[in-house]
Amino acid sequence: MKLLLIGTVLFFSGGILELFIPRKQSGFVSAAAAALAQFFILPPVFQALTDGSTMSVSLDFSLPIGTAFLRLDPLAAFFCLIISIGGLLASIYSLGYMKMYRDRPYSLSSYYFFLGLLFTAMLLVTVVQNLLLFMIVWEIMSLASYFLVIFEHDKEEVRRAGLYYLIAMQIGAAFLLTAFAWAATLTGSLDFTALAGVLSMPGSASTIIFLLFFAGFGFKAGFLPLHTWLPLAHPAAPTSVSAVMSGVMIKTGIYGILRIILLGGIPHASLAYVIFGIALLTGIFGVMNAIVQHDLKKLLAYHSIENIGIIGIGIGLGMLGMVYRQEGVALCGLLGGLLHVFNHFSFKSLLFYGAGVVYAKTHTREIDKLGGLIHSLPITATLFLVGSLAISGMPLFSGFISEFAIYTGLVRSLAPGGAILNIAVGCGLAGLAFIGVMAVLCFTKVFSICFLGLPRVPHQEKLSEGSALLLAPMVALGILIVCIGLVPLLVLPLLKNVVAQFVPGIVATEWEQMMSLFRRLSLAMAVLAGLIIFFLVLRRLLLTGKPVRIFKTWGCGYQVESSRMSYTASSFAAPFVHLVAPFVPREREVMPPQGLFPQEARYKRHYADFIAYYMIDPLSSLLSRFLGLFTWMQTGRTQQYILYGLVFLVMLLVWIMLMPS
Amino acid sequence: MITLLHLSLLLIAPILFLGIINRVKALWAGRRGAPLLQAAFEIGKLLRKGEVISKTTSFVFRLSPSLQIAAVIFAALLMPLPGRPALLYFPGDFVLFAYALGLAKFMLVAAAMDTGSSFEGMGASREMTFSTIVEPAFFLLLGSLALITGQTSFTAIFALLNYSAGYSVLVKALCSISLFIMLLVEGCRVPVDDPNTHLELTMIHEVMILDYSGPDLAFILYASSLKMVLIATLLANVLIPVSAGVAGGLLLFAGMLTLTAIGVGLVESLIARVRMTHVTQFIFLMTALAVTTFSAVIFFLSGGF
Repeated sequence: MKLLLIGTVLFFSGGILELFIPRKQSGFVSAAAAALAQFFILPPVFQALTDGSTMSVSLDFSLPIGTAFLRLDPLAAFFCLIISIGGLLASIYSLGYMKMYRDRPYSLSSYYFFLGLLFTAMLLVTVVQNLLLFMIVWEIMSLASYFLVIFEHDKEEVRRAGLYYLIAMQIGAAFLLTAFAWAATLTGSLDFTALAGVLSMPGSASTIIFLLFFAGFGFKAGFLPLHTWLPLAHPAAPTSVSAVMSGVMIKTGIYGILRIILLGGIPHASLAYVIFGIALLTGIFGVMNAIVQHDLKKLLAYHSIENIGIIGIGIGLGMLGMVYRQEGVALCGLLGGLLHVFNHFSFKSLLFYGAGVVYAKTHTREIDKLGGLIHSLPITATLFLVGSLAISGMPLFSGFISEFAIYTGLVRSLAPGGAILNIAVGCGLAGLAFIGVMAVLCFTKVFSICFLGLPRVPHQEKLSEGSALLLAPMVALGILIVCIGLVPLLVLPLLKNVVAQFVPGIVATEWEQMMSLFRRLSLAMAVLAGLIIFFLVLRRLLLTGKPVRIFKTWGCGYQVESSRMSYTASSFAAPFVHLVAPFVPREREVMPPQGLFPQEARYKRHYADFIAYYMIDPLSSLLSRFLGLFTWMQTGRTQQYILYGLVFLVMLLVWIMLMPS
Repeated sequence: MITLLHLSLLLIAPILFLGIINRVKALWAGRRGAPLLQAAFEIGKLLRKGEVISKTTSFVFRLSPSLQIAAVIFAALLMPLPGRPALLYFPGDFVLFAYALGLAKFMLVAAAMDTGSSFEGMGASREMTFSTIVEPAFFLLLGSLALITGQTSFTAIFALLNYSAGYSVLVKALCSISLFIMLLVEGCRVPVDDPNTHLELTMIHEVMILDYSGPDLAFILYASSLKMVLIATLLANVLIPVSAGVAGGLLLFAGMLTLTAIGVGLVESLIARVRMTHVTQFIFLMTALAVTTFSAVIFFLSGGF
């Protein structure tokens, strides 16, 4: 436990030291600190994961906080693992990626400072078990990430996105604070263990507190309808930050939800259904919106929403299993959800890093302006393909393993009699399949429009592959993805003790059954890989000594080939978008050609977020109209403000005097 | 021995399946038609040829056909025959079956986009759009079967698919119609797509493989036909009772495949292709049937009637 804290401090001190380092050498210290921190963080983390022990230290603060416990149990350790590795990869990637900002007026030292602070805060979020201290580190995490989002602060849209993000986080924090304050007044204790009593109380108060927590953490994770900050903040932040936010930071929301479920014990059935349903909608909504987006990073942000949905389906299924005392189902659901947390970290970080290389080389995020990059960036393209296959849940890659676990759980929970459960599970099956196939549509689109075919806009300069610092983290993640996809048993044993915290009874038989299932799945993957190699070799043998001619693409007899004729992302998605048109509001900007000699004509179209368009935006404009009624109070005169204070004090005095004591 | 027979039956079936469809279409049109083994001759010829590869393409284009055929043959290993367990089976194997076919589709679409041709882009985009409707319905169908039998693998589901309960006839009927529609969609047959069409603008599957030749084309032809056979095998598994035994089951299975092929041939001869914009409505028929099947199962199992 002490080791973990030393590691955490290392992350922070790496950030602090960066403040005193000249621009040219910036980044190396924080990368070294992050690498060093691994040696301190990983041993206790692996210890907690393998033997299921809980380590703790208590810190004595002065009054408002009091004695605070920091505990490292398997659940916290699992998230620490992701944060710690994510921190190392992000520090290395930043070294390469931030080079392009060196000659521009942005503060690199503050970037590394806030990056270190963010990782410190995230690590603490997982171990701090005191309500007040938790709120403090939670807020530090939000603020540090806010400053990272507004890194390119001279751009109007970046500042707007940052403000939106900050406000969303503060609303989320308000939910959490309400829940914490309510719980603390009920028990009189600030320790998390006291929450267990509150959450398992009979009556509606415990349900409302649970939902408050779910909303608060749901803001961070990006559950529907609290997700609207994600597609704004991710494109605004530098790509290295987007990768951290999407791959690591939003998982702290998942951590919070899991922590509350763990404390609350066996949940109420309706709560399990609510979470399952919201997660399903989140997944479908996320990927549906991703398909219509043509900004690479915005698209990936919507995919984060989708994957949070998949993780949520796993968690919801786990809760349903707990409610109906089906340990096997709970095991599959939680195992799938947790593994998907890890998998999403690996493939989404990989995809964002890939997008970062593309952006660094081409200076655009518009996928319709890209194309044919596989010839100039072959390594990036291959790794992006690995990430795309993994996020689409294709067999041989890690994404399939976690989705398979969730599917298995869904099918196992089907049982005669429980009509409501069966309907929910049927929706889950069809919904998960729908999410999966839409992800395939979206990633065939992204990968092939960006990397395959012809360049849609000719590049001025000759593009070269990204530097080793950019590629190294991606290669590491790619290897991780393929390894988990082929041999899931490499990581599954690490999750045993985490799942055992939720369903204590499962350890012996169910777990063994599950592992033997994954052993057979692993065998099946080996067969598939063998078949692929067989046919590749066969093809090579068949073609030896045969003429292989390199010629033009068949263009139906047209002789002039032009990249302007090739398919774009919009046209690829068009038939599908037509199907789901009611759910993706379309905004158009048309300037038709005018006059006899038209000079300029424009047509611009983009798709808005359904929830933001119909729910959040009208609500916030209503709110600002209401608050507008009070603008007369803000005159800008100091004297008047002092008067307000005086009036308030007098009113307070009168109230106290009139109160019967 | 019987395992070898099982495998070879599944692997030879694609050739004959195509042969029967084309023979039925020819006979209906008043022609004699090509020999039943025509597909084998064509594949054999392609395997001996060299290739022409577009200069726009990358390694994705060259990897794709081998991956497709490997993934579809792998899916065949997960498929039981009536009275026979699959060569590889475990709980939840049907998820892997669907996703292995998904992998083949991912590669097919990526390779089509790799050529940079807008025609191939059209085909790819249509293929993916139709899949988004088929896939959820397929999982709902398998969910219904899993719910009836209480089992989670293909082999166990089909071994237990109960014949005695009165409602199972209804479920089977609904299931087989939806599977037949799925066969037409995934196999790219009329009324969704026309394998004999000669205009690139209206193609779906054929346009995606325009730039392939030689062994690669042979792999793709075989893989797409095997995919149809696998869905037809599912249909046979739903309809053929377990009581038929191993030998009877295999015989009935061969008969069932022939019947399905004749059915596809007849549909192709009798029905015109649906307008491209209306194809999705046709596929939604499968969704509707799948939802009906699932609701019926829930209704009966919770004590209806």
